[in-house]
Amino acid sequence: MNEVGLTPFLLLSAFLFACGAVCVASKRNAIGILMGVELILNAANVNLVAFARFNTTFRLEGQVFALMVVVLAAAEAAVALAIFLNFYNNHATVDVDEAKNLRG
Amino acid sequence: MSLPVILFVLVATATCVSAVGVVASRNVVRMAVWLLFTLIGVALIYFLLGAEFAGAAQLIVYVGGTLVLVVFGVMLTAQGPLRELRTKRVELIVGGVLGAALFVLLAVVSLELGSPQSDNAALPGTGPLGMSFLGVTETSPKGRVSGVPTGTPPPRTPVAYLLPFEIVSVHLLVVLVGAAYLARAKRKRVKP
Amino acid sequence: MFDWFQAVPGRLHVVGALLPLAAFALLLAAGGVRSLCRPFREQGGFASKLYWALGGDIPLKTGAYLATAFMAGSALLGVIGLTNFLADPSTGEQRAARWGERVDWVRLGPLESASPPVWQKQHAGDRFAPAPKPALALELGYKIDHLTAVVFAMVTVIGTLIFVFSLGYMKDETQKTVEDHAGHEPLASSHDAHAGHATPQAAHSLHRRGRFGRFFLYLSLFCFSMLNLVIADNLFQVFVSWELVGVCSFFLIGFYYERPSASRAANKAFIVNRVGDAGFLVGMLIAWTYLGTLNFEEMTHRVRSPERDSHTSLRNANQFVRVNPSSEPNRYGVPQYELPKQGEGSHLALFPIVKPGHFDGIQAGGHKDGKVSVPVVATYTSYGTIPYWLFVVMGIGIFFGCMGKSAQVPLQTWLPDAMEGPTPVSALIHAATMVAAGVYLVGRCFPLFAPEVLLTIAYIGAITLFISATIALVQTDIKRVLAYSTCSQLGFMMLALGIGGWVAGLLHLITHAFFKALLFLCSGSVIHGCHHEQDLRKMGGLKAKMSITAFTMLVGVLAISGAPLLSGWYSKDMILSSALGYVSVHPEHVLLFALPVVTAGMTAYYMFRLWFLAFTGTPRDQHIHDHAHESPRVMTTPLIVLAMFSIGIAWGWPVWEAEASTLGHVLHSAEPISVKTDFATEQKAEHHVHLYAGAIALGMAAMGAYLAFSVFYQKTPSRDSLHATGPGWYRFLLGKWYFDEAYDAAIVKPTLNLAHAAAAADKRPPEPESRRFDWFTLDGILNAIGQSAGALGLVFRAAQTGLIRSYVLALALTAALLLGMLAVLAK
Repeated sequence: MNEVGLTPFLLLSAFLFACGAVCVASKRNAIGILMGVELILNAANVNLVAFARFNTTFRLEGQVFALMVVVLAAAEAAVALAIFLNFYNNHATVDVDEAKNLRG
Repeated sequence: MSLPVILFVLVATATCVSAVGVVASRNVVRMAVWLLFTLIGVALIYFLLGAEFAGAAQLIVYVGGTLVLVVFGVMLTAQGPLRELRTKRVELIVGGVLGAALFVLLAVVSLELGSPQSDNAALPGTGPLGMSFLGVTETSPKGRVSGVPTGTPPPRTPVAYLLPFEIVSVHLLVVLVGAAYLARAKRKRVKP
Repeated sequence: MFDWFQAVPGRLHVVGALLPLAAFALLLAAGGVRSLCRPFREQGGFASKLYWALGGDIPLKTGAYLATAFMAGSALLGVIGLTNFLADPSTGEQRAARWGERVDWVRLGPLESASPPVWQKQHAGDRFAPAPKPALALELGYKIDHLTAVVFAMVTVIGTLIFVFSLGYMKDETQKTVEDHAGHEPLASSHDAHAGHATPQAAHSLHRRGRFGRFFLYLSLFCFSMLNLVIADNLFQVFVSWELVGVCSFFLIGFYYERPSASRAANKAFIVNRVGDAGFLVGMLIAWTYLGTLNFEEMTHRVRSPERDSHTSLRNANQFVRVNPSSEPNRYGVPQYELPKQGEGSHLALFPIVKPGHFDGIQAGGHKDGKVSVPVVATYTSYGTIPYWLFVVMGIGIFFGCMGKSAQVPLQTWLPDAMEGPTPVSALIHAATMVAAGVYLVGRCFPLFAPEVLLTIAYIGAITLFISATIALVQTDIKRVLAYSTCSQLGFMMLALGIGGWVAGLLHLITHAFFKALLFLCSGSVIHGCHHEQDLRKMGGLKAKMSITAFTMLVGVLAISGAPLLSGWYSKDMILSSALGYVSVHPEHVLLFALPVVTAGMTAYYMFRLWFLAFTGTPRDQHIHDHAHESPRVMTTPLIVLAMFSIGIAWGWPVWEAEASTLGHVLHSAEPISVKTDFATEQKAEHHVHLYAGAIALGMAAMGAYLAFSVFYQKTPSRDSLHATGPGWYRFLLGKWYFDEAYDAAIVKPTLNLAHAAAAADKRPPEPESRRFDWFTLDGILNAIGQSAGALGLVFRAAQTGLIRSYVLALALTAALLLGMLAVLAK
């Protein structure tokens, strides 16, 4: 992969990250927000693995961190879904705009 | 145009398109499908980078686990015909501006970073990774700490990830218990 | 272990100081565990076993013996340390290393070895940029010199004896329930305005659990604080121990806290001491700010000129050097100061603590001809200056703290009230050690005191010794006589220190500690024997019943009166000859000799009056006399030991030479060099007038004693006729010069009235008419502030939409902005 270089991977990651951020900021569906978060995490992972490839010092570290992020993302998804289910039980919808108890 | 470049362009384009699909589609189920393609694309990127284990893990855990979880969530919370939750146009515009700004920012930083030269050595495979999770590593890695110009490489303590591994496992356990507790069906107390 | 002590023998003292703390900790832990287990005592099981194992309902008696044993160990170490110290041949640096250690406690700023801060690197090219300010460190440390070793041994020995005495005196407290007759002092005699409403406790006797263990707990903590204060090598550690001593005093004065008078006395002691401590804190902060260190030795080095510089020995060695700011800076632009052509300078020069490689002293005609450059940022190796008035304020401030602790006018009012505590407490704290702390600190800080401060000290001492002695003349409570006599003797010490009689003052500190402890313990024995009767008017003829007490107390009375060959004679003789020497040089301060001489006579009078009233004549209260008994051996043994100390502690060879005291010689080697430089002429004059002073003092004392003998033993002229001659001044003295009333009228009453007035203004009457006043003043303003905050909240409320997505949006935008700023700024 030497011909491609680091920058394209970083750009790809930046694009994924931006998509995830837009997703989180604009979706009204709670599960959509969760998907946005997954996108952001994947963007970070791409970065990590790319760095592992292109910086010899981080050979091991990059991959290891990527794996941990994958695992943590799974955990996060589980908890988030549990919360959403609870929310759904209480509000009969997954529209996050309904959750405005915090409104001042 | 060598093969790796062609492959990268193909995969990257597909991934980006799928990501945009996630953002653009209104239907939750479609979003889930687009997300599936994105995740597979990312896994392919890993393979292209030579990180086979990470790619495999991505496929298994994400595509096989997390996404299924998400789909379960969709099914459990869907009421009758899937209702579309529309977003206001203003919000879409603000979100788009935000996304564009973030992308530009990150892109600028990435472009400034430049591309370091790398040797063609393969990334550590499943074996070394597993060993590092068990706390066993080669004690004298060939690589040097970046920023140290020449001379003898500074002594490096062996890197091992036993403790993080343990922490992550316990974390997972806790999360599963917590999720089960949160999502459990509330028993209605039957009044005598 | 032995080698460890052999290498740094000063650690003996540290261990000695920590032993009482260990006793305190043990007792506290045991008591705590026991009270935690108390709820389970009936249930069986481990907690209940633990409760009964720790003594159950009965007060901790073993703990008291343990504390006494620890204290005895401490005394042993103190004495060994003293002999070790006196036998130690090492000198100079080696001695300092063997008898002192310092560690950082809190360090602010960089360590010396740490890399210099960034800003210094930036100025690396500029060689005249100020060097980094050295770290300000609060240190823990100890330093043993002759004074410390002697005072340490004194405190531990007296402490041990008082612990033993307390084992007997506090016997009542070992019972399961103690009947407290709610104060043997009638409430009416109290001056407090709030004494009127008698609390229910005061009305009838009260039953409570014995507090034997608690008493020894407090005593142990007190001893630790006092010892820590004595071995401390810096002002901050002294301050910490100072406060600990104060709080222990509070606990012990209020030991019978069910009695309203005791708890009031405890509060009074604590509050009056706080007044003094405020001054102490001011002094300490000035020292910290300007001198940059609180270590005694370093502070001395900072304010007093060294003996020689890189070129020659200095004429003003060990003296204060006062300079004036010079109009022209030196050639590098650093501000300069110079010696004044005539008169005194407005600033005091501060000398480097660590001498730089090349170092010029300040003297006219010297290498720099009396000029000195002072960088803006002070370092350990550079000169500094402090405004002279601020330096005086620093000295006065530190002395103010000592005034509070040592009960000097005008802060003396707490000491007599402190007699509410059990008598051993009075002996330990309010006679032998705690009040000595103030005198000790004045002695320690002596090189830091400007001449004006020393003069203040001398006058305060003189006034105190006179006023307290006059009050003591007419007191009828046996302990109050002793309390005022303590004030008076402390005044003697302060006076001596103020006029350059450093050795005299501190020798009196030691000897006084012994005989005052003896006197207090004797009075304790009398009180114990008479079943807690303290009124001298009801005693009399006790000599037959309590021969040991009577005899040992006579020794104490003779010692404090200054009878020849007893310890008090040596020290009082030295003080008076110092005073006479000083006055012969400065005739305008003649009061500094007249007052102590008159008071020497009064001392003999009131002490013999006490003794005659208590022990001779016919019993005035037959009931008390019939039930009086000699105290058990555990109490009389300390009396005998203390009596022997009171006789012989200051002896030297030849015994009849007042100046030949061995203890005096030991203290003399601890005397700061500055005493010799500051008081050279006075000390020379002292040698000439020495014999006259001794003779006058002895004559006055004999006169006083004879007067007491004729009035209270022979009854000619009778006491009543003496009183009849001046009921006015008699009442005045009985009213203690009305200090309490004056404070009440000047401070307490106005404060209370102000508070009442404010409360009246603040209480909003129901009618709207009077509401207007408040509406535009304090309440109105406060309400306006509150309402404006509320209005602001309403404005910001709109931002809180409660929509998660808007929050996420804000978050992401902020992150983008911050990252963008970073990306831009990083260029």
